[in-house]
Amino acid sequence: MAELVRENSFLTVYFPANNKALVFRVKSVYNKDYPVIDYGPLPISANTELPTFDGGSTTVPEDGVMPAMAYMDHGISFPLTGAFDETDMWYLPPEYRDRLFHIHMFIKPAWMRIEVDIPKDVMQYRFQRDKVVLGINKLWGYSRGYLEVVQLPGIHYGYRFGNDTNLNVYTKVKFVYGEYVVEIPHDPSLIFEILTRKIPSYWVTMPVTSLDPTIRVSLINTYGIDGFPVMPIDKRSEAIQVYENLLQSTKL
Amino acid sequence: MARSELLHLYGETDGSSTSGTFSLSSPDFSGSVSYIRIPKGMKLKIWCKRISGEVATLIKIGFTRDVTVSSPTWVTIGTEYLASPGEIILEKRRPIVVEGITGKEAIAVTWSQGTAGKAYVELEVEVSE
Repeated sequence: MAELVRENSFLTVYFPANNKALVFRVKSVYNKDYPVIDYGPLPISANTELPTFDGGSTTVPEDGVMPAMAYMDHGISFPLTGAFDETDMWYLPPEYRDRLFHIHMFIKPAWMRIEVDIPKDVMQYRFQRDKVVLGINKLWGYSRGYLEVVQLPGIHYGYRFGNDTNLNVYTKVKFVYGEYVVEIPHDPSLIFEILTRKIPSYWVTMPVTSLDPTIRVSLINTYGIDGFPVMPIDKRSEAIQVYENLLQSTKL
Repeated sequence: MARSELLHLYGETDGSSTSGTFSLSSPDFSGSVSYIRIPKGMKLKIWCKRISGEVATLIKIGFTRDVTVSSPTWVTIGTEYLASPGEIILEKRRPIVVEGITGKEAIAVTWSQGTAGKAYVELEVEVSE
């Protein structure tokens, strides 16, 4: 159910906003024998004020309890003592460019709405280009109970949750994750074959429909490029030329 | 990815009223509620009912399409009768299924008795996509 990438396999991280993708070879899986984190309750504190779906507001009755009919209008992170950024356990600085987190998040109760903002507080779900902004408090634009994402270095993600029942629910978060040691393959033909899906690669489409400048700057800071353009199969020689040029700028 | 959640709900009569609506509690939420609202796009399945009591008790499961109005219209979608002191356990392979179409739908559980006495209800409920 929570698939992770195996050693010496490829991982493609695709950005719909600019039709570009990053291609990685997973050299090793750092946490192979311990991929599960029973994180515990959502990190929300008692008395925090939250908006409600009916336009009002409510307060969190106990630590970790998501109030009835409430949602988060700002994304939260998951704190961890001792992590590089103790307020956001998944954050990695650009210098950790050889590391990637592949995260499967499970939230209990399973009806909880989840949305991820990349970067934090930039809502990414849209309809008809940018005509309608979707999200956790809208008709759609969220998933329930589960989310898959790849955490890229240099960017803080924000996770927003909603509970559209009349119950003040006790929450529980479980992560199944891979800490991958990665490299970008340096053969432009190989990248072309992967991006045209002739060579198998685990493909994660990032929920990035609006390319906030922070993302581009972070990608260039981290990898030297903001991705390889995904080109049609009949543009092989043109694509390989583009990839060859980009590969000269990569930092990984 | 379709996911589902099982809830154990329980409630009891007050022992002094001959009719009323159960306050339902669960290990999965804090406090108690008089109804369970169904999230939009999800289904609520009642898999099991356990009823026990000191006196004969009629248990009804009510369903409303809009619990947000001041006087919701409740329709009975399930009835069980505890004919004498004791217990009945009803586990069904075919559950009662109600759907959250607008997100305003809800179920509630009521009791009525000839003579007031303590009675208890437990429901095993699944909320699924």
